[in-house]
Amino acid sequence: MAAPVYVLGGYQTDFARNWKKENKHIVAMIREAVEGGLEATQLEPKDIQVGHVGNFAAELYAMQGHLGAFLVDVDPTFSGLPTARHEAACASGSIAILAASAEIEAGRYDLALVVGVEQMKTVDPAKGGEFLGTAAWYEKEAKGIEFPFPKLFGRLGDEYDRRYGLKDEHLAHISAVNYSNAKRNPLAQTRNWYMSEDQARCVDKFNTVIGGRIKISDCSQVTDGAVSLFLASEKAAAEYAKKRGLSLERIPRILGWGHRTAPIEFDAKIAESKNNPYVLPHTRQAILDAFRRAGIADVWGVQAIETHDCFTTSEYMAIDHFGITAPGESWKAIEDGTIEMGGRMPINPSGGLIGCGHPVGATGVRQVLDAYKQVTNQCGDYQVEGARRVATLNIGGSGTTTVSFIVGFA
Amino acid sequence: MIPIQKVVVLGANGTMGAGSGEVFAAGGCDVVFLARTVEKAHEGLVTAQNLAKSVRIADRISLGTYDQDLEEACSKADLIFEALAEDMELKKSFFAKVDKFRRPDSIVATVSSGLSIAEMALGRSDSFRRNFLGIHLFNPPSVIVGTEVIPHKETDPQLVREIVELLERRFGRVAIVAADKPAFAGNRVGFKVLNEVAQLAEEHGVAFMDYLIGPYTGRAMPPLATIDLVGWDVHKAIVDNVYAHTNDEAHEAFRLPAYMDDLIAHGHLGNKTPQFGGFYRRVKEGGQTIQLVLDPKTGAYKDIRDDGVRKVPFVEEVRGLHHVGRYREALRRFAAATGPEAELAHKVIFGYVSYALNRVGEQEVVREARDIDRIMGFGFNWAPPTVLVDLIGLEETIRHLEKHELPVPKVLRDARPGQRLFREPYVNIGRFFAG
Repeated sequence: MAAPVYVLGGYQTDFARNWKKENKHIVAMIREAVEGGLEATQLEPKDIQVGHVGNFAAELYAMQGHLGAFLVDVDPTFSGLPTARHEAACASGSIAILAASAEIEAGRYDLALVVGVEQMKTVDPAKGGEFLGTAAWYEKEAKGIEFPFPKLFGRLGDEYDRRYGLKDEHLAHISAVNYSNAKRNPLAQTRNWYMSEDQARCVDKFNTVIGGRIKISDCSQVTDGAVSLFLASEKAAAEYAKKRGLSLERIPRILGWGHRTAPIEFDAKIAESKNNPYVLPHTRQAILDAFRRAGIADVWGVQAIETHDCFTTSEYMAIDHFGITAPGESWKAIEDGTIEMGGRMPINPSGGLIGCGHPVGATGVRQVLDAYKQVTNQCGDYQVEGARRVATLNIGGSGTTTVSFIVGFA
Repeated sequence: MIPIQKVVVLGANGTMGAGSGEVFAAGGCDVVFLARTVEKAHEGLVTAQNLAKSVRIADRISLGTYDQDLEEACSKADLIFEALAEDMELKKSFFAKVDKFRRPDSIVATVSSGLSIAEMALGRSDSFRRNFLGIHLFNPPSVIVGTEVIPHKETDPQLVREIVELLERRFGRVAIVAADKPAFAGNRVGFKVLNEVAQLAEEHGVAFMDYLIGPYTGRAMPPLATIDLVGWDVHKAIVDNVYAHTNDEAHEAFRLPAYMDDLIAHGHLGNKTPQFGGFYRRVKEGGQTIQLVLDPKTGAYKDIRDDGVRKVPFVEEVRGLHHVGRYREALRRFAAATGPEAELAHKVIFGYVSYALNRVGEQEVVREARDIDRIMGFGFNWAPPTVLVDLIGLEETIRHLEKHELPVPKVLRDARPGQRLFREPYVNIGRFFAG
């Protein structure tokens, strides 16, 4: 059994901000996330032994690579800190967490800083859509196509439709629930936006079709954001708890994880899964791996989920892949209120990617930070009562790289 | 308090009427948009749809006219929301009618940005006066969430508490309670700074003052560009009202510069009169848009490129520090700067800190520093005064206030060095400072 990895907390920037309008360099985002995290946890910079940054495409959006090195710029104490940057499209943040966890499990370090960061409001939507296309097989699936990703995730919906039937009204409900949850999250991008289920069902001049069955209301929006997270070994967590007069049992852990990568081309994924009840079997497997490592039998071992709803179709997929319903029956959990706040399995109390925002490389870290906040009862108005364990699901590409974590108490 | 489900907006064709109506509809209310004609009311609906980016928000909005629908709409309404022009007599004449038609338990509110709430309630029924208050939203309400709730002496205190709670929880507002004094809290403090910069522009130039008191000092938009956006007529109405009806330590800062008065008489109202402009005017030359800037001394406009603003080294350093997120160092560099430009910038910025925090107290505009912080942060998008104090340091701030003979606010006299004054858990202070 691997050594335990504890979560000490972290910090999320306000996802409604536009850092280009503020004329900020991406290092300002990293700095705010780290300084905010240090303050939230009351950790000392000198205690940090290693730093990992998750980021998708700062080279494209911000003309800046080598982001690990920018951690060193945050505090003079960090000079000499070993750092690295990790990339797996929209799963970059989770990959950074996995790298930090692996080092703690291996006993290399006791206290790791993870930062997920993406600055996206630097370019117009069409250019940004093209950059995102590099998360697919660009030459085959994105080159010369306007907004390739909405089209790919539209096809995920089409595949559900073909295999099981899919009603767009169920997707509209997913959108409305995420927007509604985001209203209770003071850091959510859309907390003051207007959305209703009626609005999400309509196609009109405001809610236009972006690709296939995907309308604006089905999409997460272009977001700037940075999130920090501190992970600790048992030794560091015990010291942390002792200093604060807590018992170690009060500090949540990453109880389990799953990590799988499917063929990058969407067609190849679908061809591979044609006789499988799950449309994205590797995503299903990543979730099962996380359950197994966490020692829980199934999804009912967690009390809430923070999932990857880059589009409503990805959340639709997550519902049956988590096993909340049988394959192809996600609509049942949508119709009976299971996924809503107060339901049997609230999904995205934070508002998720659609409501809270999707700064691509930061999302995986934001999900785990939200899971930490849930299990430590720090979510305020979007708290799920009695949450002891929360699952995350973070997906890069068109269901390509999948990471799932179970965060909480054994 | 009664549940708020049915809302009537008077003056729904105006910017604030349509914008406020959108906020109520988005919060799930059934809203009646009233105007002189149905066509006018419909204009308000289109504005609301554009603000909400939703066609379907119309499902919650119905249209009517004062002549046809005022009586029925008011008799059914839980909240009657007045957003007519800022004209006391006009408002009072409508309130007299509303008083006849409304239910005794209904709430009546005005969106006025600074007229006397007490005066509006004069002569109205007991139940009207008890249920009447100001709800001052900022433009555009769909984006700017700062909101002032202004009771007059007879407003039911329980109602005030419940309205604040409702605005925050159901309508996504950041709400404060402000006293019924001219311009209330946000505009009193904000327009003091804006008008002071307009006064200084006469000697130092428009573009230079907007550079010197620019976004790096903790605001989304430079001050004189802000007055252009607000409208010079609105600016004049606010500062004239405060100048006439208050007498505080910054009284002269509210005196409208004579050059502005002259230009207003000639139709220069800012962005809303593009042919004349305000501090700035855009003209098309060939295929190009050229920005002109006002010379307050002559009233003439010249190409902004010919009015080269000289860069000031400390300003550039502070901006550079903001650019990389070093806000504390940036503000300390600002406070430590010396020379005539620094003196000028310090006078305005420390003047803001002093004036804003001196509006806190029993007999003042707000009860707590937090109220001023919230309304400046979320009504104006300016760095809240205590954020500046926290970053610069308490002792250094007081040293500057004393040097510039600015009254040291009680909240600063009572504070301990090193104690953080700004305590809003979810507010990123970095958002207020542009690089």
